[in-house]
Amino acid sequence: MKSIWEKYKTEGAYDELMHSEFQPRRVSHGLCQYLNSLNKNDIDKRKIAAELAIMEMGISFTIYSDEGNIDRAWPFDIIPRIIDAREWRVIEKGLKQRLTALNCFINDVYGEQAFIKEGKIPGEIINSSKNFRKECVGMKPRHNAWANICGTDLVRDVDGVMYVLEDNLRVPSGVSYMLENRVITKRVFPELLQDTDILPIDDYPTQLHDMLSSIAYNQNHNPHVVVLTPGIYNSAYFEHAYLAQQMGAQLVEGSDLIVNDDDRVYMRTIEGLEQVDVIYRRIDDDFLDPEVFRKDSALGVRGLMRAWKAGNVALANAPGAGVADDKVVYAYVPEMIRYYLNEEPIIPNVPTYLCSNEDHLAYVLEHIAELVIKPANESGGYGMLVGPHALAKEIAAFRKVIQANPRNYIAQPTLAISTSPTLCKGRLEPRHIDLRPFILQGANTFVTAGGLTRVALKKGSLVVNSSQGGGSKDTWIINMENA
Amino acid sequence: MLSRSAERLYWLARYLERTENIARLVSVHMNLLLDLPRGVEMGWQQLIRINASERDFNERNKLVNERNVTRFLLTDLSYPGSLISSLSSARENIRTSRELLPDEAWEQVNEMYLFAKNNLDAIASRHSRVLFVNEILKGCQRFTGLLSGYMSHNHPYRFIRLGRNLERADMTSRILDLASLLLAESRSAEMRQYETILWMNILKSLNALLMYRLHFRSRVNGDDVLNFLLLDTNLPRSVACCIVEIADCINRLPNHDLLPEKLMELKTYVQAIDTRRATQLQLRAILDDLQNKLGELHIQITANWFLSAVAEEPV
Repeated sequence: MKSIWEKYKTEGAYDELMHSEFQPRRVSHGLCQYLNSLNKNDIDKRKIAAELAIMEMGISFTIYSDEGNIDRAWPFDIIPRIIDAREWRVIEKGLKQRLTALNCFINDVYGEQAFIKEGKIPGEIINSSKNFRKECVGMKPRHNAWANICGTDLVRDVDGVMYVLEDNLRVPSGVSYMLENRVITKRVFPELLQDTDILPIDDYPTQLHDMLSSIAYNQNHNPHVVVLTPGIYNSAYFEHAYLAQQMGAQLVEGSDLIVNDDDRVYMRTIEGLEQVDVIYRRIDDDFLDPEVFRKDSALGVRGLMRAWKAGNVALANAPGAGVADDKVVYAYVPEMIRYYLNEEPIIPNVPTYLCSNEDHLAYVLEHIAELVIKPANESGGYGMLVGPHALAKEIAAFRKVIQANPRNYIAQPTLAISTSPTLCKGRLEPRHIDLRPFILQGANTFVTAGGLTRVALKKGSLVVNSSQGGGSKDTWIINMENA
Repeated sequence: MLSRSAERLYWLARYLERTENIARLVSVHMNLLLDLPRGVEMGWQQLIRINASERDFNERNKLVNERNVTRFLLTDLSYPGSLISSLSSARENIRTSRELLPDEAWEQVNEMYLFAKNNLDAIASRHSRVLFVNEILKGCQRFTGLLSGYMSHNHPYRFIRLGRNLERADMTSRILDLASLLLAESRSAEMRQYETILWMNILKSLNALLMYRLHFRSRVNGDDVLNFLLLDTNLPRSVACCIVEIADCINRLPNHDLLPEKLMELKTYVQAIDTRRATQLQLRAILDDLQNKLGELHIQITANWFLSAVAEEPV
């Protein structure tokens, strides 16, 4: 019987589970031992069981394509990714630190603007950000928390250090897949989970509901919390429905809500109109309120901004929070941490070149073939250039695009992001991965134990987005102290 | 509870009830045909008639035979009244109201849908068709059972019951319609010989044979069957019982306004039906009228609680 580990090569990048092709890391010892006790047939059976569970649970995401929208089953790799709890405790602290600073910054941007006035960031960067919403100036959300739900992408470079790649502060998605991945793993490897000290993750919906309740303006009764979705055709609809169901909150669409002359938000129920206190909105700012933002939006609610500004409804994330979700602003986060918190950043940024800066631009144009170029305001991995993997003519085209609109682009060195053993045609092969933990901030700050590990299923690929051939893995934070 | 959610749950229940009804009809009909001698004038066209879908069927098929009819009713995705279409609509409705139902409810419907979708070809042979239909019937029963065991009997639950019973009353009246049609037409001596078998199958198609026997303690007789299926308030699939259920839901829902009056009318109408006196022709007119009244009730429910004033779905 051939081993599933046959020809496992760890070269070129840090491998999360293996020191070398024969030597598991301390945290993955138990997993590797267990996997070795299974033959290829057993592994295949588990894989099939996982696929079946995904189908039955209806875990899907939608891909937009020319042939219409396709609802796809969630691609899942049964081999978990493992992080030592000792390392995780530091990362967790770093994530809290980061979101706290980001919220101080957003609050400042829409208030005093001290950070700009003291020359820490050019005012031009803020003013030219398409996610800066002048309508939000002067607002004071409860607890000064604008970004209540944040998905921060972390990657590990070849040196073993975790870096923050980006902060998703608008409507980050993926947490439902994180939760469902654990459910599936429990079904597929029950024996293994029992013998390992893995931090649980399933309290996330409770934490989310607590956080959402904590930002309601009226705390005299149990706040009425709803989840606002663009509807079934949205790629993350599964997640919206899932979170609403797990929290016991209503899932509403724009047409279910109405803002009356009293600037309060109501939902249309079988008993008439019922007031809503907190909206976890999964609609982008642009589509939120046709009265203020895009006039043609059929997804949002007319008058929602009025109600929010009158302090009659809390919105999570707050409109305008996306100003800090900009890859140019990202470069200034370490400075924000020093400025607002008087601390040193715990998790480093990836070195970033701002094309708006002339010196940086010159460097970028010269070294473009070694760099990753990203647009400042896109998500989902769209509109990127990975220099080392690009064709000469793609590079030439990108050069022009950057020069035409330098503010809109940043560049970063191509990281050799870490790999983790992934089941490919019955054998384990290293595949590149990242990690998206979710951080909640309202009255308190909460970090998920681990997060969503995304994996680039194609050999050598660095793109982990589900819309572009990525999959995911369960993420285990293992407490080794009792091991 | 959101008006939109109420509407989706109501339709979820209607579509699932329809799914179950189609499965049961096909299953009973196959049994019936096995019992009857060859050459008896009882064929597959009756099933098309029950669903009032002659036109849809003829547009898609040249011949009325077992293969075409079962394919049309069970697996034709282009016909909105087919089992697979109903099940797929049920799935869409539950997918958009998951937050009100236990996890298992969604998984049950999703699993059933995937099963049906993956076995569309299986219905070609009688043997695997029986298995297919049985699996669907079990799935529908599991769904009903787990809601009654896991779900609070709250407003969302009431909208599900409401939809289920309206659809059920409609189907029972259609089946009775067909029965009276058969009686009016098929009075050949040979057919009359098999009349009992026919009535027994009518009872079976509503899972009511045993309950009938327990109730009447005598042999199966046409008038009694009609009475039982129309007026008995203890039999879950009788029209009268469905109306009691509908009334109970409506009276417990908020803002029911004008509905009780409408219901009272319907109740009185059903109770006044005298199957012994009515000729077959009159009976058919009465059943037709009953279906119209159920349709009106649906329109009122829609106007009263749901967002869209006019139902887009075919009843």
